[in-house]
Amino acid sequence: MEVVKCENVRKVYGRGENEVVALAGIDLSVEKGEFVAVMGASGSGKSTLLHILGSVDRPTSGTVTVDGCDVASMNPTQAAIFRRRKVGLVYQFYNLIPTLTVRKNIWMPLILDKRQPNEELLEKVTEMLGIHDRLDFLPDQLSGGQQQRAAIARALIYRPAILLADEPTGNLDKKNSREIIDLLKISNRDLRQTVILITHDEKIALEADRIVTLEDGRIISDIRRG
Amino acid sequence: MRREYSWNDMRRSRASSLSVVTAVFVSALLLSLLCSLAYNLWIDQIRQIQWEEGDWEGRITGKITDETLEIVRNYVNVRTADINEELSGEESQTLDITFYQPASVLEDMPEIARLIGLGEEAVTYHYRLLAMYIIRDPADTAPRLLFPFFLLVTGIACVSLIIVIHNAFAVTMNSRIRQLGIFSSVGATPRQIRACLMQEAAMLCALPAAAGYVAGLLLSMGALTVIDFYAGNLRADSTRPELVWQYHPAVFAAAAAAIVITIVISAWLPARKLGRMEPLEAIKYNGDLLLKKRKHPGLLSKLFGIEGELAANALRAQRRALRTSSLALTLSFLAFSLMQCLFTLSGISTQMTYFERYEDIWDVMVTVEHAPLEQFDGTQALRNLDGAASCVIYQKASARRLVTEEEISRECAQMEGLSEAPEEYVQETGEGWLVHAPVVILDDESFLEYCRQIGAPAVLDGAVILNQIRDVYKKNFREPDYMPYLNGEAETTILRPDGTEGTSCEIPVTAYTSEVPALREDYGTIDYYELVHFLPSSLWESVQEAVGGAQEELYVQILADDRTSAKALEALEEEARRAVGDSYETESENRIQEKEMDDRMREGMMVIMGSFCVLFALIGVGNVFSNALGFVRQRRREMARYLSVGMTPAGIKKMFCLEAAVIGGRPLAVTAPLTAAAVWLMLRASYLEPQVFLRNAPVVPILLFILGIFASVALAYYLGGRQLLRCELAQMLEDDTMR
Repeated sequence: MEVVKCENVRKVYGRGENEVVALAGIDLSVEKGEFVAVMGASGSGKSTLLHILGSVDRPTSGTVTVDGCDVASMNPTQAAIFRRRKVGLVYQFYNLIPTLTVRKNIWMPLILDKRQPNEELLEKVTEMLGIHDRLDFLPDQLSGGQQQRAAIARALIYRPAILLADEPTGNLDKKNSREIIDLLKISNRDLRQTVILITHDEKIALEADRIVTLEDGRIISDIRRG
Repeated sequence: MRREYSWNDMRRSRASSLSVVTAVFVSALLLSLLCSLAYNLWIDQIRQIQWEEGDWEGRITGKITDETLEIVRNYVNVRTADINEELSGEESQTLDITFYQPASVLEDMPEIARLIGLGEEAVTYHYRLLAMYIIRDPADTAPRLLFPFFLLVTGIACVSLIIVIHNAFAVTMNSRIRQLGIFSSVGATPRQIRACLMQEAAMLCALPAAAGYVAGLLLSMGALTVIDFYAGNLRADSTRPELVWQYHPAVFAAAAAAIVITIVISAWLPARKLGRMEPLEAIKYNGDLLLKKRKHPGLLSKLFGIEGELAANALRAQRRALRTSSLALTLSFLAFSLMQCLFTLSGISTQMTYFERYEDIWDVMVTVEHAPLEQFDGTQALRNLDGAASCVIYQKASARRLVTEEEISRECAQMEGLSEAPEEYVQETGEGWLVHAPVVILDDESFLEYCRQIGAPAVLDGAVILNQIRDVYKKNFREPDYMPYLNGEAETTILRPDGTEGTSCEIPVTAYTSEVPALREDYGTIDYYELVHFLPSSLWESVQEAVGGAQEELYVQILADDRTSAKALEALEEEARRAVGDSYETESENRIQEKEMDDRMREGMMVIMGSFCVLFALIGVGNVFSNALGFVRQRRREMARYLSVGMTPAGIKKMFCLEAAVIGGRPLAVTAPLTAAAVWLMLRASYLEPQVFLRNAPVVPILLFILGIFASVALAYYLGGRQLLRCELAQMLEDDTMR
């Protein structure tokens, strides 16, 4: 079942002399349950692609469908609702809300959606991520690895259609990086969670089922492994 | 290179620069306004003192000859030395002296007195005037607080504004901590960083400071015109000097210095802090609004969900930055609401105890100076005035009367009589108690009319005694209980002069009564034990020598035929003055004009005091603006986080609305119970019924003030929030500070 479909997606920033083509006609399809790594050098367009898939940005042209929703045509409110229901975003610098407890941070998308948080799922996810005993702490009271686990828990708690992770290990040491990648793999395997991971680290990319490589805003290779 | 960097940064961070520009402009405006107003009001106060009490700083009383006058005039620091003709006699003269340097008046005056052969006891000082130059003699113990009050207000304003601008600078500078950390890491010294920030502050502030300074001056001109308009109504005598806006280079220098010092301190504080930061600490800085410890969800969270909780947390995290606004808004609102309630209560009280009480008693009142009633020859002309329904001419005198124990009424005796009365009012003697006996001398015709009114024999050879005393134990002065003072058996009354012993005069009593003649007078309000006597002028003529104590003023009280027209009363007032004649010095007033004057005076006082409250509120609002406009950089990350997890723009707006509502509403929540408690105390003290106050409660001005505060805070948040929501989420997420 196709969960992500991009057709001839272009993204251009600026005009005239300042025009920068970030994505130059991307065609991409991702099946449900896939673990895709998007690789590329700095400025290749991988973060722009992730932002468009996460409805954080809009394409200049082309169509993007995520779990049946046309991302390109959404207004800001629809985009926000889409983000809290369909995509889970994990960033390099966690982006937890510093004034809320870890528990509230994880529940945030559900609270915003006026849905009843599922305690059992919270327990299962946080136990899996190893932060069950840190739920009533403020983010600042956690280590970097724990904060990233909390960010992943927040992205998984509402069972999004896709989990988008932008360099999630970029700010972590080797041990924590390994653990985070393992957790993403576990969620992909055990929860059948579709994961799109953005990285420039080839070793990490090799953990994925499929590696898509970008260069100058175009896909230059798309390799399925195993 | 540094300058180029600063310009580039200011262009990039236009919103937070705007908050600094706004804060500096408002602060310069307020300081300039305050300095100019303080100077002009100070000058006016000096002119008023000089007008009321004379233009002199030191005074010597003694034998002054032409020779000694010359010696004084030649004294090096003496500016003027003139004989005060009004106070001088043949034996002793009074010399009024002013100085070039009043600061040394306390040393110069005894020296001058010595030079002309007089002792220090011959010297007096114009303490009230000298206090305006901050010259205090230890011998003068009166609390002369006007000048210190000016200085205090300016000082408080300076400190508040330093906090406001400092906050705006802190927001702008904090947004660049990482960049400055990078500067530092490549070798910039703390001094270079401070210099860079201070240079940037100078570039940002020069223009708004100058503009605010000029705007403050213009505003002070306008404010003085308004104050003079209202003060004009307070001028009983039109010869009082007008309030004219004026300037002095020293005031401009002081205002400019206050502005520059305020800005420099405001910029220096965050610049120093930033200059001291370790490079690593600076590079790692992310500018998040943090809480020191976990907070339990409060009321906002319960009422408004997650947006409420986020708003509450954001407010908690910004508590320090918002401290000035919280304090200034709360105090200004408290001062405004208390002032409104106080003026309302005082208005009700004046209305009840004066205007309503005497409404049917008088229309025109003429006070004739230096005119003993028995010699006054205008009585008939006044009685025959066109448009006058009735006319009473009366004079007042003070006397004493001995009250014996046997004379005191049974009711009064049961209330412990006079034995518990304060000594200042009642003196105990071997024969009884000596009490004050104010004498009201009515023209004969009015006295006869009064006798007929109370059912007493209409004769002119006796006094009518107001035979009532207040129940001193009943504190409610609005509804006093009266009882007979004397048993009313004595057929004569013996009046003694007030203050002199020896002489006395026995007068027949024609009646004891509890009814007073229709005069605009109060009896027994301060001294409950006074025994008022009403006498006809013909009788007074025969006893005045023995009793004495007559006041120099004569009162002409007229009731008009047409009581509703201000013009008719003015015409009648003019007629009455004419009837009194040019040979007497007169002062006159009419009921409608007096009511209008009272209303305008009250209004004027409220405008002036209200303006100070608004000025104070402006400091708070300025702080909110500087915070809200500094949002764009400081809260980008916060907003990006909310939006990235699916909060809608409507949710963000709701959060901002709640923050603005709390900032605007908190002063109200704090003030409302305090004001209510204060009003309750004032009501108790003034013995007014709460419903009377509620019917006249100043709801509209207080509501307008609240609305003003809410509208200003809402506007600040609207502008800050709109700029923030205009940013692209992707841009915010890609920001290099997004970590």
